[in-house]
Amino acid sequence: MNVRKNFATALLYFALTIMLILFMVPVYGAIVTAFKSQAEVSAGGYWTPPTSLALENFQRVMDPEGGNLGLYLQNSLLLTIPASLFSIGLGTLAGYGLGKYRFKGDGLLFILIVAGMFLPPQIALIPVFRLMNDIGLYDTLWAVIIIHTAFGIPICTLVMRNFFQVAPNALREAALIDGANEYSIFFRIMLPLTLPALAVLATLQFTWIWNDFLWPFILTQRAESRTVMVGILNLTGQYTVDWGGQAAASLLGSLPTLFIFVFFQRYFIRGLTLGAVKG
Amino acid sequence: MLRRHPWIIPASFLALPLLVYLAFVILPTLNSLVYSFTDWVGYGADFEFVGLANFEKIFTDRLFSNAIKNTAIWLALAMTAPTLLGLALALALQGKRTINTIYKSLFYLPICLSPIIIGIIWVWLYSPKLGIVNLFLRSIGLDHIATAWLANPNTALLAVFVAWAWQQTGLNMVIFLAGLTSVPTPLVEAAKVDGANYRQTLTKVIIPMLRPATVVVLALTAISALKSFEIIWVMTMGGPFNKSDTLAVFMYSESFRKFKMGYGSSAAVILFLMTLVIIVLYFRQTAAAEELYE
Repeated sequence: MNVRKNFATALLYFALTIMLILFMVPVYGAIVTAFKSQAEVSAGGYWTPPTSLALENFQRVMDPEGGNLGLYLQNSLLLTIPASLFSIGLGTLAGYGLGKYRFKGDGLLFILIVAGMFLPPQIALIPVFRLMNDIGLYDTLWAVIIIHTAFGIPICTLVMRNFFQVAPNALREAALIDGANEYSIFFRIMLPLTLPALAVLATLQFTWIWNDFLWPFILTQRAESRTVMVGILNLTGQYTVDWGGQAAASLLGSLPTLFIFVFFQRYFIRGLTLGAVKG
Repeated sequence: MLRRHPWIIPASFLALPLLVYLAFVILPTLNSLVYSFTDWVGYGADFEFVGLANFEKIFTDRLFSNAIKNTAIWLALAMTAPTLLGLALALALQGKRTINTIYKSLFYLPICLSPIIIGIIWVWLYSPKLGIVNLFLRSIGLDHIATAWLANPNTALLAVFVAWAWQQTGLNMVIFLAGLTSVPTPLVEAAKVDGANYRQTLTKVIIPMLRPATVVVLALTAISALKSFEIIWVMTMGGPFNKSDTLAVFMYSESFRKFKMGYGSSAAVILFLMTLVIIVLYFRQTAAAEELYE
C-alpha cells in the first residue's frame, strides 16, 4: 500500500516537473536572449544558454538615441505611482463610507460601484478619448492617471469596504464617546488599522496599472508621454529581428512587477483572491 | 452596532470617489451608448444621429460576424482549458510542502507579466524557422506539423489563445487554491474513513465544495476573455485574414484605425451587453451560493 502510494506521489511530481519545465520555457527564452550578444544570437543560438553575459542589449534599448526605454520607464513610474495612490485613496474613502455606515440605498450603491470592476474598458474607450481631447489632457500622462484612478475605484472600494466592515467598532465607539469627530476617527484610528489592506491594494494596483497597455495606447501619442508597454511594442516594430533588444526591454519592463512578485507575493495573491472570492 | 447615521457623514466620505467614478467611468459608458447612434468620425464636434443605422449595418457586416465567431471560439476555449488545468494544478499543489510552494510560485509567475510582454515572447516561440515550438517538433520528427503558427489562418487564433492561457491558468490556480482552503479537512477525512477512494472523494466532496470558486473562475475568465485585446494585437493584430479578429479587436480597428467612431461604439455596446449578461449571471450565482453556505 505504502509503496504504491509513494510511487503515485513520485509519478505526480514527475508529471508536475515536466509541466513546469514546459511552463517556464518562455521565461527562460526571454532571459537567455536578453543576455546574449547580437553576434551570438545571429549565429543561431536562440535557445542555448549565453556563452558570456552580454549587456549590450540593455545598453542599446536604454540609449536615448536608440530604444529610449529609460524615458518610458520613468513615464510609467510617474503614471503608476500617482494613479495607484489616488485610486487607493478614493477607494478607502468610499469603502469607509459604505463599510461603517448604514443609509438608504447603500447596498445598491455598493453593487453599482463594484460592477465597474467588470466593465470592459472598450465601452469607455471612445468617450474618454474624446473627453481627454476636449479638456486638453490628451497625450499627457494626466489623462492616463485620471482614467486609472477612476477605473481603480471599484476594486479599491470593494477591498476597503470588506475590511472596514469587519474592523472592530470598540475603538471607534470609545473615541465617539470621548467626543472625537467622525473625521479624526477615520484618520487617526481607522486608517492606521488598514495598513495590511492598503498593502494588498498597492501591489494589485501597481501591477495592473504598470502592465496596462490599452489606455496609454489610446490616450498618448508623442514619445514624451509614452509608457513602457507602449514603448516596448514600438520597439518591436522598429527592431523586428532584434530579439536580444526585445528581450532586454521585456525584462526591464517586467522588473517592477517581478519585484512585487518576489517580495510582496503574499499581499498580491491575497488581493487576487480577495477581489475574486468575495466579489 | 451599526446604526442608521445621518446621511451627511457617509456622503462626505463618498462624495469625491463617486464624483470621479461618475465622471470618468459611468458617464463615458453612457456616452458610448449615445455615440453608437451617431456617425461620428473621431475628430471635430460634428456628428448626426443616425438612429439604429449602425446596428443595422453591423449585423450584416461580414467582419463583425467573423469577429463574433472568433469571440465564441475564444470564449469556449477560455472557459475550458485554463479552468481544468488551473483546477488540476491547485489539487496537485495544495498543502504546505516546500516543493509545492516553489512550484505554485512559478506557475503563477506569468500573472505579474504584461500581456504585451507575454505576446512578444510567444511570437519568438512560434517563429517559423527559429522558434522553439518548431525546433522541438522537427527534433522529434514531426516536421509535417511545424507551421508558421501565427501566419497560418488555421492556427493563428489557437496559437494566440495558448499564450493567453499561459497567464490565465496561474490565475485560476490561485483562485481554486483559495477555494480549497475553505473545504473542511474533517469532511475529506470522513470520506476517506468511510472507504471512499481519491476519485470518489474528489467528485463527491471536493469538487462540489469548490462550487463558489468555480463560479468565480468561470465568470472572471469569461469577462477577461471577452475584453482581451492586447495579446491578440501584439501577436497577430487580428490577422491573418481576420482569423484572430475578436470583438475587442474589431471594435478597436473600426474606431481607431478606420475612424468610424460611431460604428465602433455600437461594437463596444454589443461587447458591453455580452459582459453584462455574465455579470448578472455571476451576481445571481454568488448570491445563491452565499445563501447556500450561510
